[in-house]
Amino acid sequence: MPSPLLQIRNATKIYSTPGFLGKEGKSVVALDDFNLTIDHSPATITTIAGESGSGKTTLANLVLGFIRLSSGQIIYDGEDVTEMSDAQLKRYRRNVQAVFQDPFGVYNPFYRIEHVFDLVNKHFGLSNNKSEYRDMVEAGLNVVGLQGKDVLPKYPHQLSGGQRQRIMMARAYMIKPRLIVADEPVSMVDASLRASILDAMLRLRDDHGISFLYITHDLSTAYQIGDKIYMLYQGTTAERGHAVTVIDKPQHPYVQLLIDSVPVPDPTEKWDVNISLPSEEEMRTASATGCRYYPRCPHRMDKCLTARPPLYVMNDEGHEASCYLYDDHPVTAELPPVELKTVVDEPESKSRVPMAAAVVVAVAIIGALLFAANGGEDQTVAETPTEDASAQVADGGDATPTTEETAPTDTPEEDSGIPAVLITADDGTEKSALIAGESTIDEITDEAEKHIYTFEATDGQTIELRVNAEGSAFTSPYAYMYDADGEFVTVAGDTAIRARRSWRGDPVALSAGTYTVVVAPYDGSGIEEYAVIINEVESAEETPTEDATTDETATEEVVVPDVLIDAEGGTEKSALTVDEATVDEITTDDEKHVYTYEATSDQTIELKVNAEGSAFTSPYAYMYDAEGNFVTVAGDTTVRAKRSWRGEPVAIPAGTYTVVVGPYDGNGVEEYAVTITGVEVEVEEADADTTDEGSADAGSEETVVEDVVVPDVLIDAEGGTEKSALTIDEATKDEIAAEDEKHVYTFDATDGQSIILKVNAEGSAFTSPYAYMYDAEGNFVTVAGDTTVRAKRSWRGDPVTLSAGTYTVVVGSYDGNGIEEYAVIVETSAD
Amino acid sequence: MSEQRKRSDNVVLDIDKLRIHYATPAGDVIAVSDVSFQLYEGETLGLVGESGCGKSTTAYGILQLIQHPGYIVHGNIKVDGAEVLEMSEEELRKFRWTKLSLIPQGAMNSLNPTMKIKDQIIDVIEAHEGKQRDKEALKNRIFELFQTVGLPNRIYNMYPHELSGGMKQRVCIAMGIALNPTVVIADEATSALDVVVQRIVAQTLIKVKDMLGVSLIVIGHDMGLLAQIVDRIAVMYAGKMVEIAPVENVFAEPLHPYTQLLIDSIPSIKERKPLKIVEGITHDPRNPPSGCIFRLRCQHAWEHCAAVEPQPLEVSEKHTVACHLYDEQFEERRANAFAATTNS
Repeated sequence: MPSPLLQIRNATKIYSTPGFLGKEGKSVVALDDFNLTIDHSPATITTIAGESGSGKTTLANLVLGFIRLSSGQIIYDGEDVTEMSDAQLKRYRRNVQAVFQDPFGVYNPFYRIEHVFDLVNKHFGLSNNKSEYRDMVEAGLNVVGLQGKDVLPKYPHQLSGGQRQRIMMARAYMIKPRLIVADEPVSMVDASLRASILDAMLRLRDDHGISFLYITHDLSTAYQIGDKIYMLYQGTTAERGHAVTVIDKPQHPYVQLLIDSVPVPDPTEKWDVNISLPSEEEMRTASATGCRYYPRCPHRMDKCLTARPPLYVMNDEGHEASCYLYDDHPVTAELPPVELKTVVDEPESKSRVPMAAAVVVAVAIIGALLFAANGGEDQTVAETPTEDASAQVADGGDATPTTEETAPTDTPEEDSGIPAVLITADDGTEKSALIAGESTIDEITDEAEKHIYTFEATDGQTIELRVNAEGSAFTSPYAYMYDADGEFVTVAGDTAIRARRSWRGDPVALSAGTYTVVVAPYDGSGIEEYAVIINEVESAEETPTEDATTDETATEEVVVPDVLIDAEGGTEKSALTVDEATVDEITTDDEKHVYTYEATSDQTIELKVNAEGSAFTSPYAYMYDAEGNFVTVAGDTTVRAKRSWRGEPVAIPAGTYTVVVGPYDGNGVEEYAVTITGVEVEVEEADADTTDEGSADAGSEETVVEDVVVPDVLIDAEGGTEKSALTIDEATKDEIAAEDEKHVYTFDATDGQSIILKVNAEGSAFTSPYAYMYDAEGNFVTVAGDTTVRAKRSWRGDPVTLSAGTYTVVVGSYDGNGIEEYAVIVETSAD
Repeated sequence: MSEQRKRSDNVVLDIDKLRIHYATPAGDVIAVSDVSFQLYEGETLGLVGESGCGKSTTAYGILQLIQHPGYIVHGNIKVDGAEVLEMSEEELRKFRWTKLSLIPQGAMNSLNPTMKIKDQIIDVIEAHEGKQRDKEALKNRIFELFQTVGLPNRIYNMYPHELSGGMKQRVCIAMGIALNPTVVIADEATSALDVVVQRIVAQTLIKVKDMLGVSLIVIGHDMGLLAQIVDRIAVMYAGKMVEIAPVENVFAEPLHPYTQLLIDSIPSIKERKPLKIVEGITHDPRNPPSGCIFRLRCQHAWEHCAAVEPQPLEVSEKHTVACHLYDEQFEERRANAFAATTNS
């Protein structure tokens, strides 16, 4: 029997967080023992539907490889995705493409549409020559009902949402995938344009044999184009079958309510307003054992609490519902074993586990859970289901209820924001001793792994503990420090995207002795790489918490990574020319490029590097002198904008230098630009008449090649709210809540004072403060910005020398999303 | 249900030729173009159209909340006979919330995350009625509001992050009605919610409207939802009002080609139909086409549509449409146009 195109078997994904001071941590089961099969042919549109929090996006992320399963398997064409070799993975990534919800955010507004196709052509090496490439693009566009001449020369803002989304489909089509994961592709597009996207999906399915995993909350579009539908409820399949059958004749009480709630576009068929709807607070509480819908269900029975209902067969066309109301129906048959092409760990016989046995298993699991809870060991909680699930695979328990072990959601305590001190040194891997001021880099690959470091403190030494992950945006290392008696001393953490939750330890005064530092991932995602450091702090007592935070955002103390990249094994590239960006691509994880640079005379330069494209790229550039001595480093870690930096200006003597560029986090870099910029140290007249040039310069220096249009100096001081005067080197924090609010600060400069303007937003990853500085005549002086996620456009002002006088600094949001909080600082420049 | 909804002919809100522009360096964008409509006492009016059609701008215009670079070019906005455009800043401040309140788009995300629910509602009340000395009465008043929108009293001391999306949305509704306004405008009040929660919130809105006898404008893009909850529908396209009619008429017999398109593109969960694909040729909003604004996308357009801008025609009682096809002199053309549509 041929293996299916995609099969998801007993898939469970648990997100877990540690508790606090011995209290139990929380685990959220996003996907629970989920099974799905998509056949090779005919191509189908398989809909995954459910309310928010039902696990549908988790499923999409799992299939796309953004996150990993806690247990279970994803099998693509007979190959287990987690066991794939690099070559297989590459093939998988090519064959499984994605189209996302937001057709506005995925485009770079500064490039024409053709750039989208150029990138994909380059990345996947699709064509041999220009004309073949042009034909491919045209063919792809025609499939989705577009013409090249109408869209390719345009900028994204000139197209409708429907057109943009179809272009994403055309892009995916060009790669000739077998499966497209479409996550809410029509939800942000106007109703009258949706049909064109759905039609494109149908054409790709029918004429080109591409299957879809169509993730949506919109049942009506699923009804119109879907083949099979899976109705998810809190990570489990409530009902599945052909989309038309399920929606016409829903069997599960939840699915019935859901379909009844879809507004009927007919004013003569109005809702019965007196229908009793569950109160919302009931809607979110899952029952810990048994059916997850129990608290809301109008038909609930005692039986429903004992174990999760299996899927019962409603008819012979694959319509199945997970509800005890149908326990006189046969239980769904087991998924047939798949012959893996690579690994074989499949159980031979698959006899059904009787229900009684299942309950026994469940009880045993609950026992284990309670034990784990009492032990206060979060990892055990997270691990338990993994083992059990695999045990049950061996037993052949597809329909075996396996919910209960994974739902310790009975901890109503709200997250205090401070992480729990849950990570003890127990079971950790012993690592080296930490040295003050020196960062130590290591990798954690397993969710449950932790590393234990020691630190020898002298008496009265005041330190700050910090930890930061490089690499994947989804990592989140936490470091806890304990003294010799096991008493908690301080904690540091970095939760990447969820920027609100990142923090560092406050300065702590230690007494002489040996301390332990435990590093572990916080969110169960594993850490690819992290850097931990203990910094010595000068003055201990008068650094209150708030200042520490301010410090963090304002001055962006970056832990420069160890110099991992040497020139060995790199690909030799051209010589770099000063002030000229060189653009190239790195596509494999371990590739590096080696450039030379001739400094003809003693000069001061800045090394800069910036990635185009994927938000997950992260090029780093290291410069060495002829003796191999480290000169400077530049990096760009995009998403986690706080950690991107450039080399500080460096004075170098004449000679030949080597610049090595490589990806830092092993994700590969699609495209990068490296530049060496000459810095004129002595020149004081930086800004005489540079109103226009000033902004242009800022742009070209930042992303050099990228053709970034530095925003027009839109923000003048008019209409702004007057704020205090800024003090040099002191960050000022404030909040902007409305889209068009702006804050106007003053700054009194002394003559010849050299400064750097910086601004950073706290809070939402989508905020984007910009700060503009003007002199007393209203002439533009410098600009700084931070757009966090869209890191390509973040930059700081370059050092500017001011003459004595009062300057105005205007802070506003650039993208109209408002800013929750920002910190602005005028810093003394190094030179 | 519809029998309970009292409709009267008392006009509580009268918009006449409202025009709002956004100034851009390349010229003004016409966001709202000479829009006129009335809102009757106790009715629910649905304001529908695609994103960017000017429906939210109209709402903000009514409340005088248009911000730079937007500005009102001309128009009259009368609430209970009082002209909003002539009010002073102080009068306006009193007028908002007490006469006319807005539940803004994404309101549930506009709650202050650091303030308890009670403090946010008290803020609204005290900003307009001054410091409330009787704390017990104030508390009871808030409990009453909670009851009206179906929220439990225990959320009084909670923070927004402790509530679900639907509950937050209902807190915003409670704030909107806290000062007994005459007119409540709900801008996409249910659009980010799951379908079951959406139904709960939509029903809450209608219940509140019936209990308090306010008039309600529901701005949305989901025709299906509007069919369920409104009395009349006003359809906007590119800043123009193209059709206003009782909801039953709009769904039974949509007149304007754009309204027809909107109704045709509602995906059904009752029967599978072939997809109706319409290209969205959008015009440059700074340079709208001559004549009818919809003619670039209209399958019935002819030369006359490019030459003359259609004016609102009252085709039956309370049913107004701005399309030349309904002009008596083009009766024959209309018959042909729709014959062709039915055949195809």
